Amino acid sequence: MYKRLLRRLLGWTLALDVWVNRVYPADFNPLYYTGGLSNLFLTILVLSGIFLFFYYVPSFNDAYTSVQFITAEVPYGQIIRGIHRYAADGFIIAILLHFFRNWFTERFRFSRDEPWISGMMLLVFAGFIGVTGYVLVWDQRSALLVAMTGNSLASIPLVGGWLRSALFGGTGLTNLLLPRMLYLHIGPAVFLYILLWWHYVRIRHPKVWPPAVWTLFALGIVMLLAGVLPVTSQPPASALSTPGRLAVDWFFLLPYVGLKYLPPLGLILVGAVIVAYGLYIPYQLPETETELGIRDSGVAQVIDANCTGCELCYYDCPYDAIVMVPSPHPGVTKAAQARKLLAVVLESRCVECGICIGACPFEALELPRYLERDIHEKVLSACRSET
Amino acid sequence: MGDRAAAYGAGIVLLALLSLLCVIGIVWGELTGHRLVTGALVGVVLLAYSFVLLFLRKGGFTGV
Repeated sequence: MYKRLLRRLLGWTLALDVWVNRVYPADFNPLYYTGGLSNLFLTILVLSGIFLFFYYVPSFNDAYTSVQFITAEVPYGQIIRGIHRYAADGFIIAILLHFFRNWFTERFRFSRDEPWISGMMLLVFAGFIGVTGYVLVWDQRSALLVAMTGNSLASIPLVGGWLRSALFGGTGLTNLLLPRMLYLHIGPAVFLYILLWWHYVRIRHPKVWPPAVWTLFALGIVMLLAGVLPVTSQPPASALSTPGRLAVDWFFLLPYVGLKYLPPLGLILVGAVIVAYGLYIPYQLPETETELGIRDSGVAQVIDANCTGCELCYYDCPYDAIVMVPSPHPGVTKAAQARKLLAVVLESRCVECGICIGACPFEALELPRYLERDIHEKVLSACRSET
Repeated sequence: MGDRAAAYGAGIVLLALLSLLCVIGIVWGELTGHRLVTGALVGVVLLAYSFVLLFLRKGGFTGV
């Protein structure tokens, strides 16, 4: 049933691609650059965040005033604040599009489970960073968020109280709260780049940046929104009272709406199950017999005598599993005698997919348990079964 | 030049004029302290440029 659903979702995703490709040239299709768009929004967030950081004061007395100072007094402060706010929404939208697109097109097969896992962690961290950002403003919404998060964490048996103290620096509102939130806003943002490195490390040609059309569009829309819908704070937080209503940002604070319908522990459990399922997605569908056959073909082997050092396999391998080294001796065939480089397969990275075999015009690579004669036999048996 | 290219060319000219108006607005906003207007108009200019790039491609003036 899940497989059938996935097939249908794949069909819809590809149909959407076709439709967008009618409006935009294929190499401008934004759906092909959801990862790059996420990177663009992250860069906007970091740059605008550095600007805001210089003016922000993380203390109960001064946090709200410093944000108001940025908004009202600093030249273009309100625009930069708006850019930071709307780029954060864009970041989450782009990540979610990237997530669903790669899910529906099954881009988590073979060794692509690593980009998937790191991507899931990027999504979770991005959400967490967004929530800490809302607390930093220290308006009434911030106070309510701290209260709701604290109560939810405290409901976890055994470790709940400790978690709340670790996050907020104590059981009540302590002076450690805002410095800790500032650290938790910036520290994980740095960690995002480590996760991004992990996200890209096994991909040969990642599209890390969108085309100029979409870079300009994303920057433009963020600046336009910052000017037309300026970001404002709610009234300052008061130590004496906690507001009863939460002004919801649907991209970051949606989980908190769940507290209206679920007890805190139930909400945490639902969140944990969603994240755990997200991490499990690459392993949910067992590989088909064909895939298993390919997977069992053995690590690709370089036939030293034939390798010309042309680097085609090196560029084509999507898993970064082939490196070129200085050739210690000439090859045997005529084309290989003048070579300067030799291809070497990194066993730990090879997924036995056979792409390098197709890339090599000199028959210098083979999968030891999936040779040309094996393919011939498969083709013949397939033909026989058809007749 | 085909009809298609001419239509996109006209679109590019309109966007260029819109950008020029926005630049005037940006200068006015800066001089009079209307910085939200300035920021929004910079956004409009960037959006216009993004569509200029798109129209250049779709009209066959650049690219593949």
